[in-house]
Amino acid sequence: MRKCLILFIVMGTVLVGGCNNDGPKESGISLIKTTNPTPVTIGKDTKKDQELVRSVEKDIEDFDELYDVAVIKGKEDILVAYKVKHMQRFHMKRIEKDINKRLEDKYPEENFIVSSDYKIFLEAVELEENMKDSNYSQKEAEKKLQEIIKLKKELT
Amino acid sequence: MGNKDSKSKKQQQYQSLEKKYEAKRPVFKNCIKAFFVGGLFCLLGQAVSYFYIYFFNFTEQTSGNPTVATMVFFSMLLTGFGVYDHIGQFAGAGSAVPVTGFGNAVISAAIEHRTEGFVLGVGGNMFKLAGSVILFGVFSAFIVALIKTLLIKWGVI
Repeated sequence: MRKCLILFIVMGTVLVGGCNNDGPKESGISLIKTTNPTPVTIGKDTKKDQELVRSVEKDIEDFDELYDVAVIKGKEDILVAYKVKHMQRFHMKRIEKDINKRLEDKYPEENFIVSSDYKIFLEAVELEENMKDSNYSQKEAEKKLQEIIKLKKELT
Repeated sequence: MGNKDSKSKKQQQYQSLEKKYEAKRPVFKNCIKAFFVGGLFCLLGQAVSYFYIYFFNFTEQTSGNPTVATMVFFSMLLTGFGVYDHIGQFAGAGSAVPVTGFGNAVISAAIEHRTEGFVLGVGGNMFKLAGSVILFGVFSAFIVALIKTLLIKWGVI
């Protein structure tokens, strides 16, 4: 029995350890650390757009219940991902509703996708990191953003 | 079912005698053990869930299903190796109430009835306990979904 247990632990370690192939990146540790990614825009990077995403991020950060906000503006949609403080997670639904309401009131002509899901946040940080690299084309970025939005809408 | 109050003198005497010698069940201690071991299982489940979020395309919402499947699979392996019995003996409800207890119920029944053959033994007895879990789980889910559908139709929520 003891042998089996040891075998099991070793196998588990090898199997799980084999998956860890990318180096330490900001997105990898965003689970335990506040990353505060800078808001970015895909496509035309006009001053107006930048001001817009910055003000959106500021508006969201004003909420006391959450921390760490990622804002990404695509061609049509603006993705907003955030982390909710631990004890406030009981009110997650209400917080999302409040944020949606405030954004719709303030920027009625924009289309917002708001999510508190950690996966969405993680993907947003990764996208923001990738976009720092000049080899990463705008087209790819837009495609990735659409993938994230699709992921957000998935329910099962 | 007889009347509870009508006990003969001898029965009452026996009861008081029994109380004197019966070992007291350490209920509080058992609860603490169950709490911590069950919590440990949940911690492991959370780790598995984050594993699915990081390395696969699952969100916090959708990662529940594969996590449950993985945890059941782990407990099945542990039951087969005979480790889960010891955990169950130590923790009691802490190892039976989480979803890992389901895997244990399936595999332990399968092992127990292996001598009776594969069809009537393993196949017939595998879901002896787990079958009721599935039945009542599915049925109560159906009822809840029905209520929710009706409430949405009527515009209550």
